[in-house]
Amino acid sequence: MLTVALAKGRTADGVLPLWRRAGLPLPDDLDDSRALVFHVRGEDGGAFRYLLAKPADVPTYVAFGVADVGVVGKDVLLESDREVYELLDLRAARCKLCVAGRPEERSRRPRRVATKYPRLADQYFRSLGQAVEIVVLSGSIELAAVIGLADRVFDLVQTGATLAANGLVVYDEVLDVSARLIANRSSYHTKRAAVLNVVDRLREALVELEVTP
Amino acid sequence: MSIDVQNRWAERPPGMRDVYPQQAGLRRRLESRLLNFFEQQGFELVSCGLLEYVETLMRGRSVAEADQWLRLFDATGRTVALRPEMTPSIARMAVPLLAAGTREIRWCYAERVYRRTVDPATLSWASGKAAESTQVGIEWIGRTGRDADADAIALCQSAVARLELEGWQLVVSHALFAPAFLRACGVPEESVAGLTQCLARGDYVGFREQLAPFNLEWDVLDLLSRLDPLAERGLPAAVHERFAGRPDGATALAVWEELVGLAAVLRERGLADRLSFDLTMVRDLSYYTGVVFEVFAPGVGAPVALGGRYDDLLSQFGASAPAIGFAVEVERMLTALTDGAWLVHGGPDDCREEGTGC
Repeated sequence: MLTVALAKGRTADGVLPLWRRAGLPLPDDLDDSRALVFHVRGEDGGAFRYLLAKPADVPTYVAFGVADVGVVGKDVLLESDREVYELLDLRAARCKLCVAGRPEERSRRPRRVATKYPRLADQYFRSLGQAVEIVVLSGSIELAAVIGLADRVFDLVQTGATLAANGLVVYDEVLDVSARLIANRSSYHTKRAAVLNVVDRLREALVELEVTP
Repeated sequence: MSIDVQNRWAERPPGMRDVYPQQAGLRRRLESRLLNFFEQQGFELVSCGLLEYVETLMRGRSVAEADQWLRLFDATGRTVALRPEMTPSIARMAVPLLAAGTREIRWCYAERVYRRTVDPATLSWASGKAAESTQVGIEWIGRTGRDADADAIALCQSAVARLELEGWQLVVSHALFAPAFLRACGVPEESVAGLTQCLARGDYVGFREQLAPFNLEWDVLDLLSRLDPLAERGLPAAVHERFAGRPDGATALAVWEELVGLAAVLRERGLADRLSFDLTMVRDLSYYTGVVFEVFAPGVGAPVALGGRYDDLLSQFGASAPAIGFAVEVERMLTALTDGAWLVHGGPDDCREEGTGC
């Protein structure tokens, strides 16, 4: 049996069509049910167990080996800094990690930055040689810039609609983010055939998708 | 009981872990079992101090590795470090004996080792790198060749098998193969180090991204991960053809032949059942010069035992001799053996009954 940790929400929504296209089994009631664990058996007899986790926890589940593989955004993966194998870029659930703020702040030096990504934000501003204070928040980061808790936000931007609705503009695009297939280091070796089967099928589906989107 | 909100009790430095009666007993029994086994096999127990000069640890290594060491100054102003592993200390101790004419040295040890980390200990014991952990291992100095490699792998397999660990797999690779393979495929020299670092981190996506600009005719990662010295089919003919005419190709082919020879010995000796080759496996220690291996077990995210051949390290200490060694990561092994139960304070009394070998 292969246990797969999926990130609830945007990442799963973006990746599931690809997962179906690859012919990997999925539970029918994934969207409607409130359950967090699902068992499914594939046509070729391979058993899968799916865990629905918060995105930021997927690398943890995989690193500890309670999940063999996981699907998670590159942003979360970099921030978590866990020792896992990053096997495949699934090219889905794309967005950008950006620095944004109110238009009138743009010309001033950054002082305080609100983010869910303290590690990455610190690396980014240090690499620019700018000393900033990092304020860690866990959601609705834009709010911090709107009400003046921070003069910059360092956050994921998908369409830019939330930023625009709050009168914020993007100052810099830091990183292109997409969903990644990750694997536990032990599982990759002890369940090699099952893990490589998933990798191969997803890669074939990705190639198909390029030819006939 | 309630939470100590007033901070009445003395604090514990981050990364350190207290080990209470039942847990400490389990750990000590596991250490003893391994040491007894190694001593039966003709390895003598050695020990040394916790501190080494940074200059000692740096021999045969890249500067980047020192980043993980806990360094401090001694009373005279020299930088010392808490040993991150035992191999350099053993090399330091063995070299005078080798210089005086000793041909073969077989030593074993059980010691704590230290690394810089911000993770809490329980977390890093199961997955990444712990601030403090216990290693029980062997160093076998003075022998080289496929039989010596097979002997070390056999010893590691027997040690793991005696602990009755379930579902383990020993994975073998070679320190020189992946770099030579990349060069022979046409990767420019300045990009080889970056690519092998991607492999060491397990960043296969990054590996493909860095490789893309070279427009190589093969999917190098696929090819590398599917090469199997145990299989009868050998190296694909196209690879053989391309490599034969190039100096770096000759290195890759020579290493390949060495691995096929080792695979044959392992199969003959019945050691190939729970063993596989994965030539994408690259270790982040730069002193390895030959075969490297790691033992994986379900439920932990990092190897429970690991080792390899380091034929050039001893010459950095003043007397040259081939050597191979490996260490069992004791806390991680216990986590795998007891399914994490040993971490629970006062918990795993039942671990004996379940035949976990502690």
